[in-house]
Amino acid sequence: MSAIAVYLLLLKAIGTSFAGMGSLPQIQHDFVETRHAISGEELSQAVLVGRSTPGPVGAYVVAVGYMAAGWRGAVAAWLAMMTPALAAIPLLVLIRRWLHLPRVRAAVDAVVIASGVLLVESGIRMGVDAWRQVSTVF
Amino acid sequence: MTVEQQPVPISLARLTWIIVRDVNRTLGGGLAAMELLRRTFIRNRSMDEFDNAGLVAVSRLTPGTNVLAYCAALGWSLRRWPGALASLLAASLPGSLIVGGLTVALVSVHEIPAVRMLLAVGVLAATFLVLSSAVSLLRPYVRSAVLVRASVIAAVAVGLMLAGVTPVRILLLSAALGAAIGAGTGANGE
Repeated sequence: MSAIAVYLLLLKAIGTSFAGMGSLPQIQHDFVETRHAISGEELSQAVLVGRSTPGPVGAYVVAVGYMAAGWRGAVAAWLAMMTPALAAIPLLVLIRRWLHLPRVRAAVDAVVIASGVLLVESGIRMGVDAWRQVSTVF
Repeated sequence: MTVEQQPVPISLARLTWIIVRDVNRTLGGGLAAMELLRRTFIRNRSMDEFDNAGLVAVSRLTPGTNVLAYCAALGWSLRRWPGALASLLAASLPGSLIVGGLTVALVSVHEIPAVRMLLAVGVLAATFLVLSSAVSLLRPYVRSAVLVRASVIAAVAVGLMLAGVTPVRILLLSAALGAAIGAGTGANGE
């Protein structure tokens, strides 16, 4: 997989999630199920590495990028992780104008709820994968 | 900051150092790092609780990793664009380098049976962390004031998921549904 593809796919996943691990379902869909760039086991390991190190939880995407496309993929993933954060600056200005609108607030809440539901599903899949690995070793 | 309490200026180098230090010494997610940053910058009188509340709200609304959005907004508040970019680099680069290095090490040893066993156990533990992230996202909505609406949205999301709809589409459809049936009490009771 090319570094540009890694950047664009991760940007899509990260740019449509609202927490460090919120991108996991889309990454699972794009990298594991659709493009087979990494295996489910590798994705689980990437999450493990990301959760075992200090710093942002979302940095697990750097491991995903490395597994999919080597060091170029890791750099592309790092850039994809940073890019959406820049949206915070115009949001800081807009939030004072728009967030008091009930429908905008309700839409944001709905996205957060759906993110939580998707994360539960990803967590269950990870657990099943890990249990299979444990069973295989024994 | 109120008019009476002007923020104490901070240099770009000091801003960068504080973010490197506070973000990259926490395990367990961005909330812990944001709490450390809040304490440091309020103690330095570079911001107050009101400023912090605005930054937290923005970080929750910005797509992606919350703590990176918090740092970008914080840097912009204190030193405009140079501050935002320096803060973003300071928050993301050290952790990413560690993750990259660990991944290289992992790829070269992960076929060893003992390592595979340890990894599997570690992934099982990480599974609980992922589920706890989901719980922390959903917890504010488990209140009587918003529970019915939140349950409807969650049920629709589950239905779409079972129907094989992609996550991006599920999020977009949820946003549209939330806007259509919403207009009520938000997660913070506002």
